[in-house]
Amino acid sequence: SPYQDRPWEYLESEEYRATYGDRPVWHGYRRNHKGSVPPQSPRKACLRRGRPVGNPCPICRDRNLLVDFRNVKLLDQFICPHSGVIFHPIHTGICMKQHRRLSQAIAQAQDHGLLWLQVPFVPVPEEDFSNQHAAVGKTPPAPALRGPGRAWYPWYEWQQPPAAEVARMRRLYRGFLKEDYPDTPPS
Amino acid sequence: GKAAQPKPAFTDEAVQTLLYKMTGLDLHKVFRPEKKGLKPPHYKLMTEAQLEEATRKAIEEAKTKLIMPPVLNEREPIDDVLAEDKVLEGTETAKYVFTDLSYSIPHRERFIVVREPNGVLRKATWEERDRMIQIFFPKEGRRVVPPTLFKDENLGTVFQQDRHEDVLNMCIAQFEPDSPDYIRVHHRTYEDIEKHGKYDLLRSTRHFGGMVWYLLSRKKTDGLLIDMINRDLLDDATSLITLYHMLHPECQSAKEAKEQKLQGVDLIKVFVKTESQREGYIQLALQAYEEAMATSSAS
Repeated sequence: SPYQDRPWEYLESEEYRATYGDRPVWHGYRRNHKGSVPPQSPRKACLRRGRPVGNPCPICRDRNLLVDFRNVKLLDQFICPHSGVIFHPIHTGICMKQHRRLSQAIAQAQDHGLLWLQVPFVPVPEEDFSNQHAAVGKTPPAPALRGPGRAWYPWYEWQQPPAAEVARMRRLYRGFLKEDYPDTPPS
Repeated sequence: GKAAQPKPAFTDEAVQTLLYKMTGLDLHKVFRPEKKGLKPPHYKLMTEAQLEEATRKAIEEAKTKLIMPPVLNEREPIDDVLAEDKVLEGTETAKYVFTDLSYSIPHRERFIVVREPNGVLRKATWEERDRMIQIFFPKEGRRVVPPTLFKDENLGTVFQQDRHEDVLNMCIAQFEPDSPDYIRVHHRTYEDIEKHGKYDLLRSTRHFGGMVWYLLSRKKTDGLLIDMINRDLLDDATSLITLYHMLHPECQSAKEAKEQKLQGVDLIKVFVKTESQREGYIQLALQAYEEAMATSSAS
């Protein structure tokens, strides 16, 4: 489609005006069905294994109509002007795949601020904003963290074991120790 | 030097009464219809007394809707380390966030701590706190990830559609009043309104007071003054100038007004001569107003 990068330009063009006039894109579209009652569920997709179905939906039948969060005019045609909800796909006649893409595009456009959104009234919060509580205020650091050389737990650094323990270990392994094995390790 | 009076705060009674008076109370704007599901219209047959009672109740409800959101300074970032356990270094690959989920404590007193992979146990930053609290205690109208329209580049598109009030309402729903995002969005909105002179968009809403306070602290009141005179709101103009004098008592016009105890149009004229930048426009507006008053009193 020539409007791949700028889908909103198609809705201003002569071609669009000639095809649709002032009416929405889905105006006048009817499903083909047997019997008096139309199908109460929308079609799943208009492209079955790469081939288009007969009588595709209003968006799939026009290759220049691209569902993008930037062409707000197209998205507006599928939103009710009175209540602000998206029309049901049975009402507009579009297939489920396009309806899902359209809902996502409308949510994205509202998120970016391009489309109008009903903002609920949230009353002003009444809480204490002084931030004095320990959870959010300043707490003095622990004594171990104040100096650069101090470790958090005393046993992080090597400590001299008690002399009785050293003597016990020496007696236990006296047959295997080297002659001049030191008491403190070389630092 | 001499002991100066403490600067008036946003929450002072005098300031709040003046701001509330300036906001106005247009019931048709406060209770304007919102887009909801369609229902058939509902009619009531009332006597004069019942109608007055209903209007009185509506005014009470409007007053609750017009309570001004707080104007606070930016919060101090949290960067306290509670413990350092080097034994845990290399055991985990991800951070762990521990949130206190007791139901009955206020969110500002909730302890939220983070254990980093290098063993450091620190308090969570404000952004992490807001995210965790929104996940476990979801609030209506607030999303875990803020909408993209609060980014600077997208705010421009929203302002072009004249949706300043919607942006400010969404901001109150999404952010805490002392977060840097809240303050940034509010300041951007007020700047845009002041640049284009769209003061009427916020009249009769709860954001008008905040906007006036922002303009007064930065001495950008000329546009607002012209707008008020053009709409024949002389009382609002005088209260604006009184607030200016309360906030900046050392300026020339404040001293003159205090000495001579000026009221009404004289106050505005003195203010215009000494303090304003757009003197010409304000003089023109005042002239037009006086001519209109003269013709209406003559006819």
